[in-house]
Amino acid sequence: MQNAKDSFYMALRTRLMTINPERTILLRGAVRPGILVEEAEASFSQIPPDVYVLRWVALGTDLDLPATMAAEQCEIQYATCGTQSFGGLDRGRALSSMDEEVLAMLQPFSTPKMNYQATPPAQFLTNVFWDEPVFSPAVAQRDRLSRAATLMVYSYQEQGE
Amino acid sequence: MASTWFSAPAPVARRVRAYFAPVNRPAQTPVLFDPAEEGSFNLDAPPAPWISLGWIQNFARKPASKSSALMTGIPASPLAQIRETLEAQLSLEFLSWTKLTMALATGSQHMNVLASASGAAAAGAGAQGVTAVTPQAGSTATFIALATQDAAQFSAGALVAVDVDYSGQTGYVGSPVAGAYARQSITDVDYIRRVTFNIGMVTQVSSAGLTLAEPLPGGAPAPGAKVQMVAGFVDREGGSFYQEWSGLFVMEGAQGERVIFYYPRLQPMSGAEEAVLPLDAKHKNGQSRVLLKGQFLAMPITDALDGERVVCYRTFLPAANALV
Repeated sequence: MQNAKDSFYMALRTRLMTINPERTILLRGAVRPGILVEEAEASFSQIPPDVYVLRWVALGTDLDLPATMAAEQCEIQYATCGTQSFGGLDRGRALSSMDEEVLAMLQPFSTPKMNYQATPPAQFLTNVFWDEPVFSPAVAQRDRLSRAATLMVYSYQEQGE
Repeated sequence: MASTWFSAPAPVARRVRAYFAPVNRPAQTPVLFDPAEEGSFNLDAPPAPWISLGWIQNFARKPASKSSALMTGIPASPLAQIRETLEAQLSLEFLSWTKLTMALATGSQHMNVLASASGAAAAGAGAQGVTAVTPQAGSTATFIALATQDAAQFSAGALVAVDVDYSGQTGYVGSPVAGAYARQSITDVDYIRRVTFNIGMVTQVSSAGLTLAEPLPGGAPAPGAKVQMVAGFVDREGGSFYQEWSGLFVMEGAQGERVIFYYPRLQPMSGAEEAVLPLDAKHKNGQSRVLLKGQFLAMPITDALDGERVVCYRTFLPAANALV
């Protein structure tokens, strides 16, 4: 299941680099694409603005299949305060841009499952695939707008996992 | 970790894509789909002459063939099974309104509403159209060369029908798709342009002619073809004409597998019908999407492989490395 989570994250990260290469974050001294996995970073009290934070929530399995299927619920959380040059008055536009980027990152709705613990990464035989996202209402906290897109990520367990 | 195969569960697909191609009615020849040569086609660029109609929903197949047992002995017991009838039905909902989806979702001929001539008498299928104009030499599938004064009658965004004058012939009319069957001679010189599927949208007008958004389905205007402006589309409940199309439906699984349903001959089997789908399920009286509903009867062909009469082919192309 970890391979599916890694593959999903890496697929979105790779796509984000194409969709908006300027969306980056300085994390632990390195500039990276502006998407991270919450459980793989030091905890933070509030998600950083203008980047995407993947939070893995629920897990379900279907054992009655030739290959066990895992369904993992993922929340993609993001927030923005707009830009300084507009005094934050463009935060609604900035959130809309992030909404569009989420939709673009999620298409196509599948990616090959990879083992990123191996060097170089090794490809499994199946794909990781997911549903269309459900967007939560935008939440306003002072000058900060945030939202979460929730979706189910599916994968099949393979031999060797 | 190293593995060369996996046990594939049932395909998981998000939606179904639909493609249609016109049956050659005069020759009674459906369009063949070869799963070996064409099964892996790019879903966004189907092989000619298949036309993509995009995503569909509520795709439902209903085999209606009936078998019965040949009984023998006392007490009677089944000796063999025989197929008494061969029939299959299909229903679906189109997610867009186009000339082709409208035509497929109606039980009779589908007509173009010609832009009316000034003072023309009213008619249920549209009044007499403005006089058609003749394409000039140099026309192509995407550009209709016209005389300057003729081009001035059109504007960007207009729809145009391109086909020949009706001259009293009977039988199937319209090119490249038979849009109607004229049982008897009629008087409307524009009749073929009323029923033709050879239509396009004008994106640019110049003194030299009309540039179209997409190629005309019939290619460059045929000799004798004329151009007429179209205001919209109309179909009728009733009539005696049944359209016939070859249909192709593709489900692409999440692992790259494909399930393809190929119907060589499909005829609409019900009149025009719409399905209304509220955009907001909690607000059923609010904005609703109006979907075209299509119901089809699958007609048989004789498979040249072994002479069997069949109505549908179901092809499964497994995912790479999937155990079968």
